[in-house]
Amino acid sequence: MKQIQKFFSSIRLTVLLLAVSTVLVFFGTLDQVHYGIFHTQQRYFESLFVVWSYPVQWPGHERLGWIELPLPGGYLVGPLLVINLVFAHFRYYRSGWRKSGIILIHAGLVLLLVGQLWTQLRQKEYFMWLAEGESNNYVESFHTDELVVIDRSNPERDRVYSWPVEAFSRGQTELRHPGLPFRLRVVGFAQNAAIFPLDQGPPNTPDLNVTRGIGADRNLTFIQIAPTFREGERNVTTALVDVVTPDGPRGRWIVSNVFRQRDPMREFFPRQTFEVDGREFEVALRFERRYLPESVKLREFRHDRYPGTDIPFNFSSEVTLGDPGSDDARRALIYMNHPLRYDDLTFYQASFAEGDTMSMFQVVGNPARWIPYWSTLIITLGLLLQFGLSFISRFYLTPAAVPVPVAAESLTATAARPADRQPAAGPAK
Amino acid sequence: MNPERTTLLQRIVVGVIFLFAGLLFLRHAMPERHDTDFDIAAFVALPVQEGGRIKPADTVARTTLLVIANRTTVRDGDERLGAAEWFTEFSLDPARAVERPVFRVEHPEVAGILGIPADERMYVSLAEILPHFDTLRAQWESIPEESQLRSSYEAALAKLRDAVGLYDSLSHAYTGPPVLGRADTGLRMLRRALNDRTNLDPDSEEARTVENALSLFAGHFTRAARSTALSTIPPLEGGDEPLAEWSNLGSVLLEATQTGELDPLAVTYAEMAAAYRAGDAAEFNSRIKDAANLLAARGHAPAGKIAFERFFNQLSPFTYAAVVYLLVFLAAAASWTVWPRVFANTAFRLMAAAFAVHTFGMFAHAYLMGRPPVTNLYTSAIFVGWGTVLLCLFLEKRFRNGLAAAAAAPVGFCTLIIAYHLSFTGDTVEVMRAVLDSNFWLATHVPTVTIGYSANFLAGSLAIVYLLRDRIFGGLPAPSARLLEGMVYGVVCFALLFSFVGTVLGGIWADQSWGRFWGWDPKENGALMIVLWNALILHARWAKLAAPTGIMQLAIFGNIITAWSWFGTNMLGVGLHAYGFMDAAFFWLLAFVISQLACIAGGWLPRLRFFNVRHEAATQTGAAEKLSGQSTAG
Repeated sequence: MKQIQKFFSSIRLTVLLLAVSTVLVFFGTLDQVHYGIFHTQQRYFESLFVVWSYPVQWPGHERLGWIELPLPGGYLVGPLLVINLVFAHFRYYRSGWRKSGIILIHAGLVLLLVGQLWTQLRQKEYFMWLAEGESNNYVESFHTDELVVIDRSNPERDRVYSWPVEAFSRGQTELRHPGLPFRLRVVGFAQNAAIFPLDQGPPNTPDLNVTRGIGADRNLTFIQIAPTFREGERNVTTALVDVVTPDGPRGRWIVSNVFRQRDPMREFFPRQTFEVDGREFEVALRFERRYLPESVKLREFRHDRYPGTDIPFNFSSEVTLGDPGSDDARRALIYMNHPLRYDDLTFYQASFAEGDTMSMFQVVGNPARWIPYWSTLIITLGLLLQFGLSFISRFYLTPAAVPVPVAAESLTATAARPADRQPAAGPAK
Repeated sequence: MNPERTTLLQRIVVGVIFLFAGLLFLRHAMPERHDTDFDIAAFVALPVQEGGRIKPADTVARTTLLVIANRTTVRDGDERLGAAEWFTEFSLDPARAVERPVFRVEHPEVAGILGIPADERMYVSLAEILPHFDTLRAQWESIPEESQLRSSYEAALAKLRDAVGLYDSLSHAYTGPPVLGRADTGLRMLRRALNDRTNLDPDSEEARTVENALSLFAGHFTRAARSTALSTIPPLEGGDEPLAEWSNLGSVLLEATQTGELDPLAVTYAEMAAAYRAGDAAEFNSRIKDAANLLAARGHAPAGKIAFERFFNQLSPFTYAAVVYLLVFLAAAASWTVWPRVFANTAFRLMAAAFAVHTFGMFAHAYLMGRPPVTNLYTSAIFVGWGTVLLCLFLEKRFRNGLAAAAAAPVGFCTLIIAYHLSFTGDTVEVMRAVLDSNFWLATHVPTVTIGYSANFLAGSLAIVYLLRDRIFGGLPAPSARLLEGMVYGVVCFALLFSFVGTVLGGIWADQSWGRFWGWDPKENGALMIVLWNALILHARWAKLAAPTGIMQLAIFGNIITAWSWFGTNMLGVGLHAYGFMDAAFFWLLAFVISQLACIAGGWLPRLRFFNVRHEAATQTGAAEKLSGQSTAG
């Protein structure tokens, strides 16, 4: 027990962990060139272990391709640092104002690391495209997809049944819900797919026997291809589903996140609907959505450029928040460095399209967003206190640091003082 | 040796050094002289609009030459033209300018295409390029879009393509396109045609001929209007609004073919050019005055900020500061071997002088941009050097021993050289992209992080001084060694504080504008690596895990990490902070990393200690007396 305590509280471990963190961050930056930020972040900073391998794109890969570097991931280094800090605190803690800075720094650090962990676990990134005059009441995820069945039988309100793609990508194939008069059977799934008409594919292209929806109308099939991790690219996540009622199968659909109804510069696809027991349903595989309590409407998008150039001078989107048609809509202007905060989400101006008539917002939800503010305030205070104190004592209180002129002056000053007094003493005699 | 007295010889040497620095300053500060009666200075003082802002033509002249020739003078046989002279000729007498060798061609294969022996000369004229234009164009088409994928040959080709494109985009700013082959007849013919159109019977045969000629002109003017990036004619009204767009000569002429009315400024420019080509200096000078008056009437007199920019350009404060930093280093290094006190004082005073000029330049540049001092890579280089020298001045003020000066002067020098090379990409006073448009954060996060870079480079540089002196030059007496250790420690503490606070401010900016505090973006990671490394150095020192030499080696490695964070991360072309890939810079970054690794390896070598005997004594008096204070005071 003593041994363990000694190990976890040693500063050697701190130095080692700091060195490992530096190396981890370095390789976690390098790999972003090939895997994009999001995937690299997951591999390096949201994992226990990671292996870096010599990139294929680098010169000399034929001979050096075998080089691999195993590293502890962020979820191993981070907690170890926290444990190390806490143990070291109890081992080395001495009360007194000289150490107060260190305590503040380390307390702030623990808070920061915990906050970062919380953020990584809970932060969600979405986007929203809006054309001028258009309104929308949901945001869509940048990274995750969902399989949904929408019950359209109520004209007032749709009811959405959603399954995250992870559910069946890990092997669960039967999706059911008590509210649905049928179940979905996932027959095929591709994280990234190439979808094409059956007759235009290479020989031996599998016929998936699609009987309903877009896939049947256009005689489509798909094959799995390697997933992409590049920044700005998205996998064409696709599934093959059967709708099965208690009376038997009702057909087979291809659902894919590229079959979208709205997007700038993309083909628009019809919805894939069907009827069971007289109720209309829609089936889709789509970007995971989060619905907002109200609608966001884009009133106007502005994009000014510097004269004679294409360099943007500003972008701004004027939006209103409220139920469609209601009068008490709240107005907001979203522009660079001035996002809109709404429903625990932050909407910021990210892109535009269609000749400056469409605007894209990136939307981020982070429940731990206040933690860094507090922790960094604490750490900064601690650093100032610690370095300020040691700076003052080092440069102004240590005798060795007293420079020559001051010492010489003070000597002459003491020598002069008795002489100064003499005239005053003279007349008194 | 009595340290209180300076000998005559010492005074003379110091006097010569300061005289040199002073004369050099005067050379920079005095207005440029042109050996001609033509008032070249007045011509380049005229304001123009280019790259989204209004600037004196002088800036265009210099930046254009920097981009295409990588220097600010043109050498043509025995003739030597300054940027202003070249630009005047280029703008007003294009037929003559075509013969000037201004395109820098380094790559032997590119030189081969042009049929020029690469080892003989590096500069070619447009006239020499034009016969090979078809070959070049075919080659240009095969250059990959992404600069990362280009070979050195393709990069050199792309550079020539961009240079020719830039040359072309500026060439019809003051004289219209050559109509029917001759530049100087164009305006006369246009005027006649416009005149005839109003006077002739619209149904006559002559009138149809005139209309045909005008539509032929219009075609030429349309092309010129599209290709010209330099606008010389402000709108008649409302030209003082920030986003008011000026017209280029081509579009003004095009408009004239429709309305029949010529902008008087365009006419004045044409007359100015005619006088220049005719060699009539008096006429030329008086037309420039007319042009200046016309511009002034539209709210753009060549005065105020425009005039200040010209002064700033010719002062070139950063070139001056770089030269003086070199002197500082020499003086500081000399102080370790001869006259420690005299040379340490000289180094300090020179450094203060160079710093003053550097500071002026930095704030002048910020004033011209209308932004806080650091806004792009160029200004960050200026600021890193500035911050290092500032920290060093504090250290030198306290411990006048030439150690900090010797460490900081090379950083100041190198960062200014880096800045100079960064200016080859164009005007350094850029307009600000909307995404970064926040003066508050530009004034807080960016300088704080950049001061963190400065402090890390100073710590690394001090560590190099420590190792160099300890291992190779003369050996380091114990008090100096302790002093240097203290300095490195203090500077690393400072670096940690600023890097951390700067990084966090960046996170807060990111949260404020992008909704997330931390995104593992390369630039953010680079900053995090600096913070981690500084923390590592401090913990290693506190735990006594590394001897002084080890700490110094760690601090030198900090140089590599800082360079990576500063430049390396930009070369990846990933993330929100990416400002573009710089292929040439990659080579230098690699060279820097290797040099630093060599310094670190030097720490493991046995002590060589050349000049051992003599200089030990000299440094003893230099550093030890300052440190203890007892030897002189007692």
